Amino acid sequence: MNESDLNKVWPTGLTLREAEEVHSYLIDGTRVFGVIALLAHILVAVTTPWLG
Amino acid sequence: MFDYRAFVYHRMARIAPKYLPFADVATDEVPLSRLLRLSLFQVTVGMALVLMAGTLNRVMIVELGVPASLVAGMLALPLIFAPFRTLIGFKSDTFSSALGWRRTPFIWKGSMWQFGGFAIMPFALLVLSGYGEAIDAPRWIGLSSAALSFLLVGAGMHMVQTVGLALATDLVKEEAQPRVVGLMYVMLLFGMVIAAFVFGALLENYTPGRLIQVIQGCAVLTLILNCVAMWKQEARDRSRAEVMFRRTVTPKFVDHWRQFIRYDGALRLLIVIGLGTLAYGMVDVLLEPYGGQVLAMSVADTTKLTAVLAGGTLVGFGYASMTLGRNGAPLPLARAGIVIGVPGFFAIIAAAFIGSIVFFVTGAFAIGVGAGLFGHGTLTATMRRAPEGHVGLALGAWGAVQATAAGIGVALGGIVRDIVLYLPFVSSVSDETPYVVVFAIEAVLLVLALIVALSMRDKRIRTANREIVNSRTPKEPKNIKMMGKGREYGSLHPTHPRPQEVS
Repeated sequence: MNESDLNKVWPTGLTLREAEEVHSYLIDGTRVFGVIALLAHILVAVTTPWLG
Repeated sequence: MFDYRAFVYHRMARIAPKYLPFADVATDEVPLSRLLRLSLFQVTVGMALVLMAGTLNRVMIVELGVPASLVAGMLALPLIFAPFRTLIGFKSDTFSSALGWRRTPFIWKGSMWQFGGFAIMPFALLVLSGYGEAIDAPRWIGLSSAALSFLLVGAGMHMVQTVGLALATDLVKEEAQPRVVGLMYVMLLFGMVIAAFVFGALLENYTPGRLIQVIQGCAVLTLILNCVAMWKQEARDRSRAEVMFRRTVTPKFVDHWRQFIRYDGALRLLIVIGLGTLAYGMVDVLLEPYGGQVLAMSVADTTKLTAVLAGGTLVGFGYASMTLGRNGAPLPLARAGIVIGVPGFFAIIAAAFIGSIVFFVTGAFAIGVGAGLFGHGTLTATMRRAPEGHVGLALGAWGAVQATAAGIGVALGGIVRDIVLYLPFVSSVSDETPYVVVFAIEAVLLVLALIVALSMRDKRIRTANREIVNSRTPKEPKNIKMMGKGREYGSLHPTHPRPQEVS
């Protein structure tokens, strides 16, 4: 492997910092999705309680 | 021995870039298909606008039985975020990213918020209206969750539009900007019209289940369209990332704002945009009731009136796109937009006194043309004047002023009419008086805007001014081609290793 490739991650050829940044967007998205889903479930439970 | 590692790397290095969301190099010429794809974000913004201001406005009051004042309050919530567009634009200008990205992260975040708001909105509205068991739930749950959902959608919408427009400005060369502005406006209108029809048809037989389907369908569509729009648009740029990484001082908003506002005519342009948008925003909601009440037009006729207004706006856009595309100056066009609007308002006022529908329709058409010319001219002027490094801030300021003025205009139109109608010392007011007062105010606002606009200097395409704040951008080697008057830089490094480098 080339020397300039040492701090790169494969298979994308991104540098480590770049890859971590792309990953952070994914993590952020997952968190927002999670919170939204939780909120939606609570609101549905208020209108039509399915737990009892 | 067969070197399977090299083989696999070789294969994967060739396949993987297809699945990464950035463009590899800044291209010289951005094809129309890519701009069309980018403009999809305007469709989602239009969708959100129609859903909130039109569809939900009615559904909440009629079907869900929520008090009208509460509905008005909820729908006004997104407006709170409009001034923050300036801040969002600034943040995107000075964003620090290892990928050299400035806009895409914000479009992604904005889309997430917009999606999230729509995802919880139907349930929040059902709880708010006391549907099912929610009738026993504490009041604050419905209120706070509905407010949260509207805030999320509003914040996401403002973010996506501001940063999306900044990205569009980044991508195309100055000569092509008028075409992009036209495209963005038309896509916004297109999104609004289609959404209004589709939502109307889907919600004709209202059920709570249908409401959930429609709003959440809108949420999913928003996310999909925005992802399609931003995919592979912004180039990855390692040299810019390096500059961002090395930056030691955190940029301050106040400093950048001062620098921007001092910049030749920026403040005056914002004032013109504010006054003009306020005037044109007030007329929208009042034309139909005016036609019905004062000129005794039928509902079908007044609906056609709105079509006349929208048609005029499209004619204005079309003419502006054509002229500016041939290297015209945007400011004279904006002035022409104001000049056409003033007699339009007078024609409408005169129509009440001589009872002439022809006058009225002609006036409405003139106002539409004026609004189209004005909107296109001012946005193009904003893009052209945006100093290098402050593109996001400039478009954020445009959006903040424009959205705030339009929102206030809509509210103010109704409020002023009602105030005149119920003035305590006037015993009997004729039908047309409150409308005439509002239209006269609008004409005055336009004249004020014209005075400010006339004090501004015209500029055709210029390059020198960009150098003023250019010091922060990286110096590139001579052999790298500079794109779009120094806004985008070709990537310094080959983005992906050539297969033979892998061993």
